[in-house]
Parts: sequence; C-alpha cells; structure tokens
Amino acid sequence: MNSHVNNDQSKRRQRIIALVAEILELDDPKSIKPTDRLREDLGMDSLGSLELLSTISEELKLDLEMEDAMGISTIEDACAFVEHHYAEQHPNE
Amino acid sequence: MPNNTLMSDPIVQSHQAVREATDRSMLGLVVEQARRFAAREIDPIAFDRAAQLPRRVLKAAAEAGLFGLAIPESYGGLALSLGDICQVVSELATRDGSFATSIGLHNGLGTRGLIAYGSQSLKEKWLPKLASGEAIASFAATETGAGSDLMAIRTTLTPRGEQVRLDGEKSYVTNGGFAGLYTVLARSPEMGGARAHSLVCVPRDTPGVEVGAEEHKMGLRGSSTVTVSFDGVMLPMENVLGTSGQGIAYAQHILTWGRTIMASGCIGAARNALNAVLSYVIERKQFGRSIGHFGASRAHVATMAAKLWAMEAMVERTGIEDINGGSIDGISGATKVFCSDEAFDICDRAIQLHGALGFLSDLGVERLLRDARVTRIFEGANDVILVFAGTALIALSRSDAGRRCHATVEPDLEEVARAWERVEQELQESLDRVRKKYGVKAIRHQLVLQRLARAHIALQAASASLWRARAVDAVARSVARLSVQQLLATAKENLSTLESSEIDESNHLQVTEALYRLGAMPQPVRA
Ligand SMILES: Cc1cc2nc3c(=O)[nH]c(=O)nc-3n(C[C@H](O)[C@H](O)[C@H](O)COP(=O)(O)OP(=O)(O)OC[C@H]3O[C@@H](n4cnc5c(N)ncnc54)[C@H](O)[C@@H]3O)c2cc1C
Repeated sequence: MNSHVNNDQSKRRQRIIALVAEILELDDPKSIKPTDRLREDLGMDSLGSLELLSTISEELKLDLEMEDAMGISTIEDACAFVEHHYAEQHPNE
Repeated sequence: MPNNTLMSDPIVQSHQAVREATDRSMLGLVVEQARRFAAREIDPIAFDRAAQLPRRVLKAAAEAGLFGLAIPESYGGLALSLGDICQVVSELATRDGSFATSIGLHNGLGTRGLIAYGSQSLKEKWLPKLASGEAIASFAATETGAGSDLMAIRTTLTPRGEQVRLDGEKSYVTNGGFAGLYTVLARSPEMGGARAHSLVCVPRDTPGVEVGAEEHKMGLRGSSTVTVSFDGVMLPMENVLGTSGQGIAYAQHILTWGRTIMASGCIGAARNALNAVLSYVIERKQFGRSIGHFGASRAHVATMAAKLWAMEAMVERTGIEDINGGSIDGISGATKVFCSDEAFDICDRAIQLHGALGFLSDLGVERLLRDARVTRIFEGANDVILVFAGTALIALSRSDAGRRCHATVEPDLEEVARAWERVEQELQESLDRVRKKYGVKAIRHQLVLQRLARAHIALQAASASLWRARAVDAVARSVARLSVQQLLATAKENLSTLESSEIDESNHLQVTEALYRLGAMPQPVRA
C-alpha cells in the first residue's frame, strides 16, 4: 500500500518536472533539480508558474487557489503543494 | 548630513526651487525648439508618399540635438527624464508620426540598454556618437518565429574566448535601415544557463551584419523597418550589456521606456486629429449649420478631448512614477494599451467628422489613422498585454490590490472622485470572485482577464485624469470631469460583462471550432 502511494507520488513528481521542461522548452527534464527556484534558476515568470499550476490542476483534477500558489518558490515547493492538495482532495487514493 | 535636514534648509530649498524652475524652462525651450524644427523640416505627406525620411532631415535633427535627449550630459546629451523625453516626442508626433517614431525609438528602446547597463568603456565609445546623431540606434528583439513570445527567439550568442559570436536574424527593426548600432536580444545558453538570454550591442559595420530592404507598410511609412541578419558576427565581450544571462529582465525594463515614449507619440497623433477637427467642424456647413453644432458632432469632439486629457495624464503620471524611482512595469503597459487604443479611436472620429475629405490623403487625416494603427501591435500586442495585466491583477495578493488611491481633488470633482472609489471597490470585489471561482485556472480564461484588465486600466486612467486636474482652470476641469465619467462607464461595462464571460467563451469556442474546421465563412443551409 505504502509503496503504491509512493509510486503514485513519484509519478506526479515526474509529471510536474516534465511539465516544467515543456513550458520552458527544455530538451532535457533531467537538468531540472528539486531545489531549482522557478524564477531565479529557471527563469520562469509568474505567468509561467501559473501556466504550470493550471495544467497540473487540470491533469490531476485539483482545485488550486491562486493565493496559495503565489508562495511557491522551488520545484520542491510545487511538488509539496500539489501533494498536500492531492491528499486533501482525493483522500481515498 | 541626513537628507531630510538638508532638504529643510531654506537656502537649499530655494536652490532646489531655482533648479527645478531652470529644468522646467530648459524643457520648455527644448520642446519649443522641437516644435519649430518639425514645422520647418518635416513634410509628413511627402515623407509618407515617398515612404522614407530624407537623410537631410536626419542630419538636421542631429544638428538640432534631437538624438541626445536621453543621453547623460557627460556624453554630450541632454539627460532628460523619461517624462521630459515624452514631452518632446509628443510635440514631434503632433507634426509627424514617422519622424517621432524614429527619434522616439532612438531615445528609448535604442539607447536605454546601453545607458542603463553598458560598461563604462562601451558607453564612452558609443554614447557621444549616439548623442550627436553620428550613429542612430535600433533595438532588435522580434524574429519571424518570435513576436509576442520572446522566449522563442533563436538568435544565439556564444562565448568564443575573449569574444562572443552572434548568429540569427531579426525582423521589423525600426531605424534599422540607417542605424549605426543595434541592441540585439539573443539566447545565450552558455552564458547564464539553459534558458538565459543576453543583450548585445552590435555596430552595423561589423563583418557578418547584413541589413535587408525596407518593408512596405500601411503606416509610419516615413520610418525605416528592415530585417537585419547576423552571420558569425564576432564582438568583444564588453559589448554584452550588464550581467550576461539577464537579457529578458533588461529588455523588460527597456520596454517600459519604449512603451511610455510610444504612448507619447500617440498623444501627438491624437492632438493633431483633434486640432484638425476643431478648425473643420465650425467652418463646414450642412443643413444650414456648422456641423460642429450638431449634438452628435459635439459628442465626438467632447469625447476626443476627454480621451486626450486622460492619455496625457497617463503619460505624465508614468513619467513621474519613474522619476520617483517606483516600478513602471505595470503602468507603462497600461499607458501603452490605453494611449494606442484611444489614439486610434480619436483618429477614426476625426476622419468621420471630415466626411469624404477625411478619406482623401491630401488632407493628411487618414494618415494619422494609418500611422496610429501599429501602436496597438508593436512593443507588445495590446491583446497580449491585456492578458498579462489581467493575470498580474488576480495574482496580486489582496492587501497589495487595495492600495491604489488618488490624492485630494478639486471640490467640483469630488463627486466623480467618490464615484471612482465605488467602481474601484467593485473591481476589487470582482477580482476576489474570479480568484475564488477559477483558482489558478483563471489564466485559461483570457476574456475574463482582459475584461478585468480593461476595467483596471480605465480606473488608472480616471485616477490619472483626476490627479492631473489639480489646480487647473474651469475648462480643463470640465474636460477632466467628462474624462473620468466616461472612463468609469468603461470600467463598469467591463465589470458587468464578467458575469456572462462563461457564456461568451463557450459561444466563441463553438463558432471558432466550426470556422477553423471549414476554413471559410459558411453559407447557411436551410432545411
Ligand atoms: C512597423 C513596425 C516596427 C517594429 N519595430 C520593432 C523594433 O524596432 N524592434 C523589435 O524587436 N520589434 C519591432 N516590431 C515587431 C513588433 O514588436 C511585433 O510585431 C509585436 O511584438 C507582435 O509580434 P508579432 O507581429 O509576431 O505578432 P504575434 O505574436 O504573432 O501576435 C499576433 C496576434 O496574435 C494574438 N496573440 C498572440 N499571442 C497571444 C496570447 N498569448 N494571448 C492572446 N492573444 C495572443 C494577438 O491578437 C496578437 O496581436 C515592429 C513591428 C512593426 C509592424
């Protein structure tokens, strides 16, 4: 059960990183590190961050509030933010 | 000595006052000189027909000091502030949009990067030539595959030992046909990270630089617009502006200047249109009366004046924000969108009031409209700026959002000022509703974002109009009042249509899906 959860979590994480690479038109998602900051390290503007989160919210069927989303700084933050909302909104999975 | 003690010293204050007065009268002289220069040297109809600015005019403009407006005095320029440059450019644009665009671009987009970010030695090498007009400046960001989406540019800058190498092609380069120095935006993945961009100054005579033929245009035909290509162009490292990799951030700052100056050009066009109308509508008689005395004409003329008032207020306010050291990222975009949209509308009304004569090119009113059209496209298409502005609005935290408020106003404008506050409150409530309803998915609803941005811009313009009306005469106050009333109506209209946005979006989707599939307007098929 636990490994199943972890597996799903890691899939979501990979998907987030792939989306970042897609939005940034990077050829290699592996060049993105969890500690990378969206703005400073990846050159993603606030529109890019919102683009990322709205795609995630569509794919994972999550409601993500604008105000909470503004606090996200790194890739790690984005993953934790999504996991938090995922657990809240899909408690049985 | 702390600054506040210094400033409270009466002698220093009087020095300060004298300095400000000297600055103002100096600016007055420069503006007056620009006006005389334009009247003497510029023949807008001839330049439009020939589709070029004669070289002798550029030379005369150089002698008149028009290329050194922005450049520090130590390099031979006038060191004018952004707001003051706008006053000169709007004066030139009152005579001719093409010439004003050439001068405005040089003093804004063309030289701003070098002034703000260039190394000491690069500035010493180029700024004196740019101030004297020996070299004219261009700014090259757009490519065929990258217009609104600047991150898609393909021109590349790569380090080569002590030098950098530039490869790629830029389109629609204003002033490009006669420029001596191009500030070029390029990707620089080896300088600052995979997504990094840098700005680099490229002298025209560097081997590998090729300048294309002039484009044939709808308007601003007297300005130069060309493609410039760079094939293995080698440049000293010092030509890279500021910190390599910061190109997009620098370009954004440069654009705040470019957009504000361009908006001041819109003021010139609008002023020209209104002046033409004022002399025509009294003189032209139909049905036994001056056409200007018909109620419908008065509505046009009054609206033109009200809009022009607000345009001037927006540009003036942006200039002051810049002097005060505030960020003009948001307001310069708003000013650009507002002034370009309104200038086009004002020119259109001027043609309407001139009737058939307005349509003929001999009078020059139709040229104003053609020239104004592109201001809604270049330096950021208005559609796109509105979407970004709407996004920025909903992304602002609530405490940030509520802070805009204008200062005290004249007693007879109190009522519209209170009305402003009510509509501003409505906007804040609408923003809250949109945030709640859509969350981060709001950016998928461009119609909503644009309506919010239009309401916000109308409110900013109304606030600027009120602010500009402090201590002015009764006529100016009546123009300001009308301006605020009309802008509040625009803001309210945009807020009221928010409710129906989803229905509108779904209708748009349905219609366009069908049209894109068919590729043409279908003939209705009846059962
Ligand atoms: C006379 C002239 C002079 C110019 N001078 C210069 C110059 O000196 N230097 C320079 O670098 N460039 C210059 N330009 C280029 C100008 O800045 C670009 O044309 C402008 O940025 C728009 O890019 P585009 O033409 O590729 O339009 P596109 O990006 O293709 O956009 C076309 C339209 O698509 C829609 N659209 C696009 N993206 C979006 C979106 N995200 N959301 C909603 N709608 C969207 C909008 O309606 C937009 O108007 C000049 C252009 C002209 C015509």
